Amino acid sequence: MNTTRLSSMKTIYLDYAAATPLDKSVLEHMLPFLTEDFYNPNANYLKANQVKSKVNQARKDIAIILGSRSNEIIFTTGGTEGNNIAIKGVMENFPESNMLYAATEHDAVISPAKNYSHKEIKVSEKGILDLDDLKNKIDENTVLVSVMYVNNEIGVINKLKDVAEIINKVREDRAKNNNPLPLYLHSDASQAPNLLSLIVDRLGVDLMTLNGGKIYGPKQSGALYIRTGTKLKPIIEGGGQEDGIRSGTLNPANIIGFAESLKLANDLRKSEEKRLHNLTSNLIDKLLNNSKISLNGPTKNRAMNNINICIDGVDNETLIYKLDQKGIMVASGSACSASDQEPSHVLRAIGLSDEKSRESIRISIGRNTTKEDLEYFYETLMELI
Amino acid sequence: MKKKVYVGLSGGVDSSVTAALLKEQGYDVTGVYMKNWSQDIPGFECPWLEDYQDAKRVAAILDIPFKMYDFEKEYRSLVVDYMLDGYKNGITPNPDIMCNQEIKFKLFFEAAMNDGADLIATGHYARIKDGKLLNAVDTNKDQTYFLYRASRESLKKTLMPIGEYHKKDVRELAKKFNLPTATKKDSQGICFVGKVGIKEFLTHELGKQKPGNIVDENGKVLGEHEGAIYYTIGQRHGLNIGGGLPYYVVGKDMKKNEVYVTTNISSDKLWKDEFELSKLYFLEDLNDEDLKNLEVRTRYRADLVDCELVKENEDDGKVILKESIKALTAGQSAVFYLNNQCVGGGIVI
Repeated sequence: MNTTRLSSMKTIYLDYAAATPLDKSVLEHMLPFLTEDFYNPNANYLKANQVKSKVNQARKDIAIILGSRSNEIIFTTGGTEGNNIAIKGVMENFPESNMLYAATEHDAVISPAKNYSHKEIKVSEKGILDLDDLKNKIDENTVLVSVMYVNNEIGVINKLKDVAEIINKVREDRAKNNNPLPLYLHSDASQAPNLLSLIVDRLGVDLMTLNGGKIYGPKQSGALYIRTGTKLKPIIEGGGQEDGIRSGTLNPANIIGFAESLKLANDLRKSEEKRLHNLTSNLIDKLLNNSKISLNGPTKNRAMNNINICIDGVDNETLIYKLDQKGIMVASGSACSASDQEPSHVLRAIGLSDEKSRESIRISIGRNTTKEDLEYFYETLMELI
Repeated sequence: MKKKVYVGLSGGVDSSVTAALLKEQGYDVTGVYMKNWSQDIPGFECPWLEDYQDAKRVAAILDIPFKMYDFEKEYRSLVVDYMLDGYKNGITPNPDIMCNQEIKFKLFFEAAMNDGADLIATGHYARIKDGKLLNAVDTNKDQTYFLYRASRESLKKTLMPIGEYHKKDVRELAKKFNLPTATKKDSQGICFVGKVGIKEFLTHELGKQKPGNIVDENGKVLGEHEGAIYYTIGQRHGLNIGGGLPYYVVGKDMKKNEVYVTTNISSDKLWKDEFELSKLYFLEDLNDEDLKNLEVRTRYRADLVDCELVKENEDDGKVILKESIKALTAGQSAVFYLNNQCVGGGIVI
């Protein structure tokens, strides 16, 4: 039985879209706020004021990266909370209205959206948003469109600018027709900051969710960008922190950690983009030489750290366990795909059969991934399939 | 041709090692996870998905095919409803015995045979030689008590390799085979209830019970209980009467919703020299001489007691004990042994 696993065996982590390790420099920035500078930033004494000014500095740092004002940023506990605050916040204010979202959105968008009148925007078999379908589905009662920046499963980079253009056109028409209903564009950008620019005016977004846990910051950290004038009804009420939108004692360690991780991601973005692109395109080429393997998702406009493949006749869970045994960590299309559970809705949306979904794995690489890691992965995969 | 064996993989260490041993012995092994129960009880998350994943991971590591059989509906009606009906009628049924009888050695066996298996295997601590069900080498872990109602046909085609090992050796083997389940905790209690106590489970399924009186031998009301179904004959704890000597449950009346107790540990209501059995079932054809020289176990891991079985008809009989046994509980099984072989048993009336 060839099941030898040495404790000293190296491990290769290829699931950066699920979680990233906390950067050591980020950790150092965080530590004082967990111990000696523990004060509630909203208290009145000097020490607390000093913590508050650090929090505000973090807000400014983030605003610079987004090209926004700092009062347009509220701190959250990450992607799920940001999406909930944005979607429920808008929809609760306009209960008679409806919203649209891309069929490939994360569950943290789809689940809150399902509380309200909603429609799904179709995607092509490569996962590209169908802009005509979007145009057709926006009606006079549509108040919100939610389109993610980078898809977490198949790496599609959505052209938010094109979406924003359609939305602007609708706004102009509404102004002419004296329809006072606003139309907002929300984007879940959890997977984007390591790879792409976040300048909100260029993207044309009114609401944008950011998540520290995917950018080498602390888990359960993040922010929501809210363009001035975008009215949200708070869904977490209490002491009125964060402009009343997100009550609860601020978490300075996570806020500062998040800001530092976002700065670092922004600084490294250009060089990482190229490095990751070279690594993935090289691996994709090799993988596609095998006739059993096909690529899920687009070849162009794809996140440089994402590979999602279908391997003919190979059960993904079994393959993941076998790779794990060899020290390699990858993901199935979605985190839960046990037999009686629904296969990935993203793969379904691009037209993959449930059977093919269960033959699909996601490889997502990051800062610590090397060429050698991917060579080892490739060789091991070829042995196993 | 290698013989095809379908191994029931539960996600635990015993069944994992079973599969590994059989593969090592040269069988063509397939791992099967039986999905019997997946419902959460408020406050307790059902671990089925974790168990399923562990089972599948073991199959992947051993490089054997993996399947799932879904018996959830059948388990509900044949095991859980059977158990709940028993509790409602004031008896204490054993769902593990029912699970083996109806699910593992019937539905699983039949499905495996239909799918082309020559044999099935389970991770039970018991041994099977020529179709005879024998005690496990690790007598402390012996599970023959739960297996006495399995069909003869299925046992003839069943392998239980870990019956030859002690539990600690099984864990060592799991490490040797690099199985991720090597350090996994054993599941405890009734298989589907998991971490939930039987009391919580009964309350969840049957609703909150009406309180009733706790009554002593002299008819004196000592206090109030939370529902007669929660009490089992011989039970010492949980009466909340307090003070003095401990009380033991000696009986209950479901209609009056009364629980009867005593402080007299040697009460003849607690100790029995003989008792009646129904639903007799035998793994061996026993002659009159055999029936006079049986040993009986009335509870999992209880000591064996010499006895004679006097059959009244095919289904019913009376057990005459050489020494008295404490706290016999209606609904539980009395299981017979003859020279370390489990030969059958019946349900205590």
